[in-house]
Amino acid sequence: MAAIKANRESSAQTRPNAWQPRRGRLRTWLADHRRVASETSLFISRRIVSSLLVWLMIGVALAMPGLLWMLQSNVQSLSQQWQGSTGLTVYMALGASEQLIEETATALEREPAVTRFQLTTPQQALDELLARSSESDLLQQAIAEVEANPLPASFGVILDSEQPYLALEALSRQLASRSGVDEVVVESTWLERLRDLSRLANRGGSALITMLLAAAVLVAFATIRLAIDARLAEIRVLALIGATRAQLRRPFLYLGSAFGLGGGMMAIVLMAVFLNQIEAPLESLLVSYGSDPELSAFTPQIILLVLTAGWLLGITGALLALIQRLGMKNSG
Amino acid sequence: MTYLQLQHVTQRFDNGSEGLSEVTVDIEQGSMVFLTGHSGAGKSTLLKLLIGALVPTSGRVVVDGSDISRLGSRALPWYRRQLGIVLQDHNLLDDRSVFENVALPLRVTHLGTKEIGRRVRGALATVDLSDRGHLYPRHLSTGEQQRVGIARAVVNRPKIILADEPTGNLDPYLSRQVMALFHQFKDLGSTVLVASHDIDLIKDQGCRILHLSQGSLVQDTDGPKN
Repeated sequence: MAAIKANRESSAQTRPNAWQPRRGRLRTWLADHRRVASETSLFISRRIVSSLLVWLMIGVALAMPGLLWMLQSNVQSLSQQWQGSTGLTVYMALGASEQLIEETATALEREPAVTRFQLTTPQQALDELLARSSESDLLQQAIAEVEANPLPASFGVILDSEQPYLALEALSRQLASRSGVDEVVVESTWLERLRDLSRLANRGGSALITMLLAAAVLVAFATIRLAIDARLAEIRVLALIGATRAQLRRPFLYLGSAFGLGGGMMAIVLMAVFLNQIEAPLESLLVSYGSDPELSAFTPQIILLVLTAGWLLGITGALLALIQRLGMKNSG
Repeated sequence: MTYLQLQHVTQRFDNGSEGLSEVTVDIEQGSMVFLTGHSGAGKSTLLKLLIGALVPTSGRVVVDGSDISRLGSRALPWYRRQLGIVLQDHNLLDDRSVFENVALPLRVTHLGTKEIGRRVRGALATVDLSDRGHLYPRHLSTGEQQRVGIARAVVNRPKIILADEPTGNLDPYLSRQVMALFHQFKDLGSTVLVASHDIDLIKDQGCRILHLSQGSLVQDTDGPKN
């Protein structure tokens, strides 16, 4: 009792106007943050299994948009790579004279849009065809019966990657009109398909990403709401003994942050596992199309982005839960 | 010196019922006053008004010269830190030790760890529970739990102690012990307001008694000099 009396006397001296908010108490404010951080760690460690499940749910909801986003950026990158190697094949007429072939080669040399070109003679084309065919004997027999090489000379033309698609079309028409040229094929089928795919990924992916991110917010919201419900008695007591709104909200904002950041880390792990699984077949596919097999995967920027997104989603879910359960729109 | 004032306070609830009707009362600083009356008489409503949990429909609730019904949401917590609140059901947190329960009001005021330890030990000694700090509420008897609630209420050196049926779950012996504690805090300068329907216990205390009935103050009996 004597101790309390002494405390009261010192208290009376230091708090003349005690129920007005005091400012500038940075040190104690930081101490409170440290305490809440420590309590949040304890809260999670005591419920590690349920916390892992929450992280997993948020991680899955985050990993899907993350993978879609990576798919989008890689498809765009591949599209650019393929655009760089887009070209033409100029097929000469059967039996076109060497002079006409040389004139066409000279025209290609003069064309500024052409980076390089390569002539394939009829014999080279035939040899290549026979080499690729598993039934070359039958083919040779058929060709022998025809008594002439049925393949024309052709030019493989690689164009400047900066050239727009319309310039490509114009050059194609110009070459097709030349004497001795039978057909000009613009090798843009894959490019067009890839562009379509990229557009589809962009539009569908954005909608899907939005839905999955909303799902992540809802997971955080539902989890924090349950945590609030579980601690309502504590909140009531704290409110009675003079905790400010900020103090009441703080544990749940920390919990939302922890769930969000943990979910972000889980998303990175899941993305890594997924990419590891598809790495080998994807590289094989890319090589078969003559593309660079390197995927832009886990750059530090992407890791930071996923973690930041996770944290923001966790905080958003916590804020929504606080507003819904405690009506704490205003800071306090 | 008048410390707590209710001036023509009426509290009407959403369902139209009146918790309090035109209640006017002055309470001196450092006094101990009992609120009594049947269930629904308005005792708890009056305490909630003083806690700031309710805003009066009309009238003023003045504490130390300030109308607390006009305190904003930012100032209200700081006002509540001057109160010691004791409730019938103790409101102890089951997942925290006795020590941590008593320390709660100090945690929100950002006191240092050493100071918190010193004050909590002092408060526990005051309610004769020095050796129970490490236990959890479920390990304590009802009487001990009530004393922990009282220790928590006084650990922050409140200027006002508000107790709502603090002896409701206690036997006569423990009830008298709790009342003795309130007298001790009154003697140290706290203003103590106790709501109770235990008339026999109240009469023994020799304090001022405010009798409420159906939301109105029907009797104001002065006890011996406080």
